[in-house]
Amino acid sequence: MHLGMVIDLKRCVGCQACTIACKSENGTPPEVLFTKVLEQVAGEYPIVKKKFIPVLCNHCEDAPCVRVCPTGATTKREDGIVLVDHKKCIGCRACYVACPYKNRIFLKRGSLKNGYFGKQLTPFEKVKYPKWQEGVVLKCTFCVERVDQGLDPSCVQTCPADARIFGDLSDPESKVSRLIRQRGGFQPLSEDNTEPSVYYIE
Amino acid sequence: MRQAELTAQKDYWVKSACKMCIHSCAIRVHVVDGVVLKIEGDPDDENNKGKLCPKGQAGIMRLYDPNRVKTPLKRTNPQKGIGVDPKWQAISWEEAYDITAKKLKKIRDEDPRKLLVSINDFHRIHIWGWGAAFGNHNYFSTVGQYCGAAYHPINGTLDGSFACTNDYEYCNYWIQLGSGDGFSSHLHMAPSIKRMAEARVARGMKVVIVEPRMSTGGAKADEWIPILPGTDRAFVLGMVNVLLHELNIYDAEFIRKRTNGPYLVGPDGNLVRDPESGKVLVWDAGSDSPKGFDDESIQEYAIEGNYKVNGIKCRPSFQVIKDTLKDHTPERMSKICTVPAETIRRIAREYGEAARIGSTIVIEGKEYPYRPAGVNYYRGAIGHVDGGIDSLAMKLINLIIGNIDVPGGHIGVGLDHRCLIVEPGPDGMIKPQPHLLHPQCAFTEKPSSFHLIEWYPIGIDPGHLGADNILHPEKYGVDFKPEALIIEHSNPMWNLSATDKVMEVFKRLDFIVAIDIVLNESTDWADIVFPDHSYLESHLLVDIEPPVITGHVYRRPVIEPLYDSRDATDILTELAARIGFLEQWNGLLNFTVFLKPEYYLQPDKKYTNLELTDRMAKSIYGPDHGLDWFQENGHTVRHQTPEEMYLPYGENRIPIYFNFIKETGDELQAKMKAAGRKWDTSSYLPIAVWRDSHPLHNLPPEFDLYAFAFKETLLNFSESNSIPWINEAMENIPMHMGVMINTKTAKTKGIKNGDSIKIISPFGEVTGRASVVEEIHPGCIAMSNGISRWSNHPIPKKSNTHFNRLLPADVKWTCGMSGHLETSTKVKIFKI
Repeated sequence: MHLGMVIDLKRCVGCQACTIACKSENGTPPEVLFTKVLEQVAGEYPIVKKKFIPVLCNHCEDAPCVRVCPTGATTKREDGIVLVDHKKCIGCRACYVACPYKNRIFLKRGSLKNGYFGKQLTPFEKVKYPKWQEGVVLKCTFCVERVDQGLDPSCVQTCPADARIFGDLSDPESKVSRLIRQRGGFQPLSEDNTEPSVYYIE
Repeated sequence: MRQAELTAQKDYWVKSACKMCIHSCAIRVHVVDGVVLKIEGDPDDENNKGKLCPKGQAGIMRLYDPNRVKTPLKRTNPQKGIGVDPKWQAISWEEAYDITAKKLKKIRDEDPRKLLVSINDFHRIHIWGWGAAFGNHNYFSTVGQYCGAAYHPINGTLDGSFACTNDYEYCNYWIQLGSGDGFSSHLHMAPSIKRMAEARVARGMKVVIVEPRMSTGGAKADEWIPILPGTDRAFVLGMVNVLLHELNIYDAEFIRKRTNGPYLVGPDGNLVRDPESGKVLVWDAGSDSPKGFDDESIQEYAIEGNYKVNGIKCRPSFQVIKDTLKDHTPERMSKICTVPAETIRRIAREYGEAARIGSTIVIEGKEYPYRPAGVNYYRGAIGHVDGGIDSLAMKLINLIIGNIDVPGGHIGVGLDHRCLIVEPGPDGMIKPQPHLLHPQCAFTEKPSSFHLIEWYPIGIDPGHLGADNILHPEKYGVDFKPEALIIEHSNPMWNLSATDKVMEVFKRLDFIVAIDIVLNESTDWADIVFPDHSYLESHLLVDIEPPVITGHVYRRPVIEPLYDSRDATDILTELAARIGFLEQWNGLLNFTVFLKPEYYLQPDKKYTNLELTDRMAKSIYGPDHGLDWFQENGHTVRHQTPEEMYLPYGENRIPIYFNFIKETGDELQAKMKAAGRKWDTSSYLPIAVWRDSHPLHNLPPEFDLYAFAFKETLLNFSESNSIPWINEAMENIPMHMGVMINTKTAKTKGIKNGDSIKIISPFGEVTGRASVVEEIHPGCIAMSNGISRWSNHPIPKKSNTHFNRLLPADVKWTCGMSGHLETSTKVKIFKI
């Protein structure tokens, strides 16, 4: 089993449903986005091309963050999901620097003092925020709790365009494997040889 | 499951209905220990199939916004203004009702027209008529302006629809002008994005987007064609010209059989009738003689040619259309809209060829015409002076390829579960349905409403005219003054244009009462505020403009209400009772919640929202399908049947020649003349043409750039950037952070990215930050509604680069036919 995601850039309309689904599923504090959609414009009027590019932790096979972590806080599960154990993380940020994708977030001291509406946390935030810890590094977990229940990550579940597809990269007959094969899936910054588990198709 | 049992559980998922925009996707909500932890699309729903847009997911942060109105409030600071603290005081329901009812009763006794009404809750269209039951037609908000005053009545006139889109399942060539359908807004966005993605990616449908700014649709399209605002009609009429006069591509069979294309038109533009029977005449090419339109002996309906009947020269209406548009050549239209003539020609050819005229398709055993091409459009294309004519052009480009309500083509969308309203009308035609929101307001010689709806017989309330007539009553002889305003889920100070004038009206009002869940630019000025339940705390059966599907989603409280709130419908019922018009209110509800006679409300009894919902359910679905049934079984959403979607007009002909519009204008002109009034009815045309008189294109040359506002997915329909998750995501998107200007234009004006700029229109000015980009027509600037806010709410930035300040709002700048306000303007800009 090697879990991974295919992102169909042709389908993605940059609506940010994934961004908000992630906020709600994970209950991340202000300014912490495990996933978001970047917008890239190229060309000169009137020949202009605009792309929407969803980004998240790539759960690399050869993950630099795992290699550089001095405490073993960042580990890779057998199914390929890369996780950070906040109890072991000392906030040294070696992983943050090592990640070529800048998809790790350091939760600064004081970050949890305020919620989205200031000091007064909403009932939702009161339930969600205690699991976070200041001074550690956070990132997308592929919604590991959902995945362990056999569900898709929240961003995949909601995507109106079905631009995100989740599945087993080691199964040649899985939808993700077939899409990569048939439509020439490519990995972000493949030259860095980190072997991301997230592929893009255009 | 019954409500009490539901919320007694510790950990549950419950199905309900979204209300984070004007549409109504099915949702499921996860609640643990009474706290809402997740909102997802309902995976079992035929419409959104588990999908939900960012706003829908962000409903949690709306529900738990600590700035929600938690109890009835009374203002204690008499001073009102931007940024002024109202010094709210919590009061009892009894006191709030008492103060409000006394004020409004006095007004009603004196002259009900003194009350301005801004009830704008699209999910509760049944309460929009509260003001009418109170005794006036006033509408002090914008439905027409930022929706489709020039869109809905023309849809209704064509085929009894309220909205329209193309056929996601069968279309192969989709042209779209000024609309977000399938990409970023409109008609159930998440499911529409899914349908569009399937069509584009899985079926390979070609998409052409025509618009001044590269929106999401433009970014995803096979081709983005930039165009100047307010000239979409020229582009489309250029295409019509190419198809009719250069390529000879049109669906003669459809025009002959399904439209009034064969009906003879005289030199006065009216249909030619048999003097004795009054029947509309057609020309029978078989017998070479005129005959009544439904004469069984007709061998072949002529749609072309010049004829003479009883000494009168006449032509089939299709021939009139052809002749009228002969001079709308691509070269001439290109000069107006800036799209190269060759591009207009190429797109027309591709479109005409993709239509596969003559082909058929069998769906569920029945054969239909198959026209897999369509032109879809929405507010951007028609939100203009002459917007009604814009809409006619958009319909014409579809009509000539015979694609109206057939597989692959241009499909009507109903307002609600009734789908299209098809009734036989005069002359073998479908009955025009321009008034799906409320019945027509009768003509009066003197104004009877501030916004003059009585003079827009097929228009949708031009609420933007209210302020001008309040501040300048002498213009049209308005002889009453506003004293109070009632606001329900609306924000007239923000949504009406000519903002400064609207603010002046607010200053003059003695009393403002509001019903909402969070305060905004307008309700910051209220004297009394009633807290409504949030959508996650209330009941409703709802279905708003559903393409493809029909039925109802059942909204139910997913938790017990958090605060001392009540349902807005109940609040309005209590006020109606205390003010003394319960009978009229109940009479109106009988109609607006679709009650069958056996469920009619007694005139003197107050009914709760729950009772109303129960009666509505039973009236529509039968006596054993009351609220209990919905609590057990949930939504009734299903895919429309082919019979509902395709050829819904049956044997009734639909107009290609809009004689109904011309006749309406002629009738209005006669009434105005009799009343001794000058009133321009020149836009009530039966055929779309380009008119050089358009005031937008005739502003002084110093205003050298067009300007318009836009919204995108995150900021769709209704309150958006006071929701922190939405606000945060929006702030990561550059187009929502500044005033978009093309690189070349910025260079000639010495403006760099991030510069502070002043934007001056003939009607107002604002300041903002330049966002220098490639993806906009060099002749325009564009402003996101994300930078438009100034309310006391702590979340949105007080950027106040509010586009509406740049707009005019008077009769001159309003579409005579539809009441639509001009939504673009021209500006000059400079660095400050």
